[in-house]
Amino acid sequence: MMQIAMPAIDFDVVSPLAALVATGLVILLVDLVSRRASRTVLCSIGIAGSIVSFIRLAMQFGQPATTLGGAFATDRFSWAFDAIVLIALIAALLLSLVRDAEDGASPAAYAALLVFCSAGGMIMAAATNLIVIFLGIEQLSLALYILAGTGTGRQASHEAALKYVLLGSLASGFLIYGSALLYGASGGIALADLAHAALAPSLLFVTGFMLFIVGIGFKLALAPFHVWTPDVYEGSPIAVTAFMAVAVKAATFSVLARFVYVVFGHDAQALAPLWAIAILSMIVGNVGAIAQTNLKRLLAYSSIAQAGYIVLALAGVNGPGLSTMIFYLAAYAFMNLGAFAVIALAGDGSESASGIEAYRGLFWRRPWLAVCMTVFMFSLAGIPATAGFVGKVLLLGQALAAGAWGIAMAVVLVLGTLISFYVYFKVVWAMFAPADDAAPSPAGNAIVPWIAVAGGIAGVVILGILPQLFYALVIT
Amino acid sequence: MRLIDVFPFVPLAFGIVTLFVPRGSRWVRALPIAGALAAFVIAVVFAASYFANGGSALTSSIHPWISGPWTASYSVRVDAVSSWFVLLTSFVSVPALWAAWTYADEARRRSFMFLLLAFETTLLGLFTAADLLVFYVYWDLMLIPVFLLLTGYAGTAEARRAAWAYLIYNGFGGLVLLLGVVGLVVATHTFEVVGQRFELGPATQWWLFGAFAIAFLVKTPAFPFHAWMPPTYTQSPPPLVAMISGIQSKAGLYGFIVFALPLFPDAARAWAPLMLVIALVSILYGAFAALAQRDMKTLVAYSSLSHLGLVLLALFAFDVTSLPASLLMIVSHGLISGVLFIMLGFIEERVGTRDLFAFGGLAAKAPRLQSLMLVAAMAALGLPGLSGFAGEFLILVGAWQTQPVITAISLLAIVIASVYVLRLYQAAVHGEYRGPADVRELRPREMLVVAPLLAAIFFLGIWPGWLTSRTTTPPAFTSLQALR
Repeated sequence: MMQIAMPAIDFDVVSPLAALVATGLVILLVDLVSRRASRTVLCSIGIAGSIVSFIRLAMQFGQPATTLGGAFATDRFSWAFDAIVLIALIAALLLSLVRDAEDGASPAAYAALLVFCSAGGMIMAAATNLIVIFLGIEQLSLALYILAGTGTGRQASHEAALKYVLLGSLASGFLIYGSALLYGASGGIALADLAHAALAPSLLFVTGFMLFIVGIGFKLALAPFHVWTPDVYEGSPIAVTAFMAVAVKAATFSVLARFVYVVFGHDAQALAPLWAIAILSMIVGNVGAIAQTNLKRLLAYSSIAQAGYIVLALAGVNGPGLSTMIFYLAAYAFMNLGAFAVIALAGDGSESASGIEAYRGLFWRRPWLAVCMTVFMFSLAGIPATAGFVGKVLLLGQALAAGAWGIAMAVVLVLGTLISFYVYFKVVWAMFAPADDAAPSPAGNAIVPWIAVAGGIAGVVILGILPQLFYALVIT
Repeated sequence: MRLIDVFPFVPLAFGIVTLFVPRGSRWVRALPIAGALAAFVIAVVFAASYFANGGSALTSSIHPWISGPWTASYSVRVDAVSSWFVLLTSFVSVPALWAAWTYADEARRRSFMFLLLAFETTLLGLFTAADLLVFYVYWDLMLIPVFLLLTGYAGTAEARRAAWAYLIYNGFGGLVLLLGVVGLVVATHTFEVVGQRFELGPATQWWLFGAFAIAFLVKTPAFPFHAWMPPTYTQSPPPLVAMISGIQSKAGLYGFIVFALPLFPDAARAWAPLMLVIALVSILYGAFAALAQRDMKTLVAYSSLSHLGLVLLALFAFDVTSLPASLLMIVSHGLISGVLFIMLGFIEERVGTRDLFAFGGLAAKAPRLQSLMLVAAMAALGLPGLSGFAGEFLILVGAWQTQPVITAISLLAIVIASVYVLRLYQAAVHGEYRGPADVRELRPREMLVVAPLLAAIFFLGIWPGWLTSRTTTPPAFTSLQALR
């Protein structure tokens, strides 16, 4: 009989993940025991568990470690990305507390799925071989396919779930096929094994890498693999969209960063397709956003462009690049979570506030909400004194120092940003429209989701004005 | 934390307090003016201290800000050049804010005042910044208050469209500048570039200067980049356009003086022929376009294009008098366009139109308005004894030394200036009055609003040496002249 040696598990290393999985189970158990547990209780358990996980994560910071035979690593490629996933989880749970938030009529399943989904994201960030990467991506994706459809009352939500599951499975197919080819080309599944094959890439290796990038590109919503994004973002419940926009990107970028740094380690020729899809994403995302009148679709296109921006951090494949990527992802997380929180608050969780018309003259009716949204829009546009601006300066510096592809990407980033001025200022323009022709809007009564808005504002402003507080932490 | 660190934020702080006073309170009027006055007093203290003692702990301050792949510091100062811009900003802002509160209804007045004060803060910040990143931060932030003021307060559909023209043009300029700024930092690894010399290759310099120049020309604006100017100037409420034309239009010229010319001297010489052509076209195009306008504000807007083209001509003539002459013209134009736009606001309020030929004859109805308008108009056409003449004369004499042909052609614009300014003055003031019957004479408040600006125009016209003798040409400029 064949002996399978189980690798030892260091539970200290996996404790943030374990805390999250335990939280999900507790939510399901509480629901089982007490059938009347309210959404507030269940989401609060989720938030508490996320905080525990976050504390464990903070304790690991600065002490890289591996376990499970080296397949699971906590290091500079995972800490910050994990933290962003957890922040997105907390924000999504907070937004689920708005009065009319959708939860698929089963708050326990909804909250537990969000938590398990985040656990998948943390597995991705820690994965050092192709199998664990795939495992993490599937854990994340399967939960999200269901969550996208939890707006049970709306046709658009069903459509979103179906689109997401079909195209997502296709992407997983590309990913696993690419992984297989990479394994064939290098003889190992660990990223470190691939590094040897990358020195003199065979046709098999390059093909495998391309397929792998296609799969990753789907998850990141990079053009030309972005077509699912606007529909899925629009159809999913607001809290799920917010989570999707931030956590999925953070986790997938951690995979991409680790792959590029460990396998290539330098600005290799083979990375050219990655730069090309970054350029395409910046154009498609910003141009596509011009005509959008639904704010969730607008932010979907925006996230396509932003994903393109973040790829610039990899240009040159060097130490400051990773810090730049983490900084921009953190900025991206705060401004997107904040913007989605405003959408949730403006409509009390219903879809009524997704259309840009709902924001006409908002400043004169609900000035605080409008001012917060303005800050998030400015940050997305990269206006100074916000996190988005510092992030863009870092990205441009990274790209301009990285040769011809880098300069090309920097120029496209600047052009894309100009187009995006129209996109984001259009929202501001609507909010500051003279009040007399404004539609009445319901007065908000939710207090708790304001925590998400306030957190977003704090993040955007602190990262924008005192970036050193954060940058000193992530500098590698 | 020194006073100079927080100086740019003084108007903003008053603006924030204004937001929170009860609607309709007297403080909504008083606080903004107090804020502008406070900023002006501090600016005078700084300038006086600088000119008496040179640079000191009072007039400059530096704190580390960001250190990563590059370093940036929160570095602020007033010096021989920036003093004049800071003084101009804080001086013109006082009448602008004093004139402002009649232009917004009670419900919106607080945020209107706040945005004007925030705009002043970005301008003061821009002119005190000694770090390129800090400079850029204010450069871009300037967009916001103007965009919001045009969007939410000017009220007309044309104004809301003008907001887009303003945003897209200046946003484009800002982003090109960002490319240049970051491109420079990739070479220098620091944003603390003021007063430093970097050895940059000619190709690098050429590209970076180009990026800086495009941004600065958009903001000024100069000929091919001026399309945002007529709608913005025409649609802005008078206090806002007084600040845009009087102060913000100097930001690009300031950028040339403090950043582009000293940092990239070789590229500046390479680009000079093109810049001189741009200057000449702006001077002539602005003058001819002003001749053809019926809208009073658009007319003055085009005259701005023409006059600021003269400053560009001076800067790229690389004559020994370039810098003092440019500064005199910059300050003088700030005062004149400030007073003109505020006065045009008074007239529009009275006759209900900006159409030059729709009313006429204000002299009979409002003799005080007429006499003040006369002074402003004479200053604009460059009558000797007023500051406009001193600036233009010094520029033309200086530029003649190195660029006689271009200077000779630009003289044409001085002649045309007399025509369009006199046409403006005559059509508005002389002839038969055809406007609304209940036209009012200038109120004492309105006369006091413009009085300091007119006094300064007289003062600089009679004693231009007061300004020019305090201007020392920095070493970077001397080297440009030697290279000529």
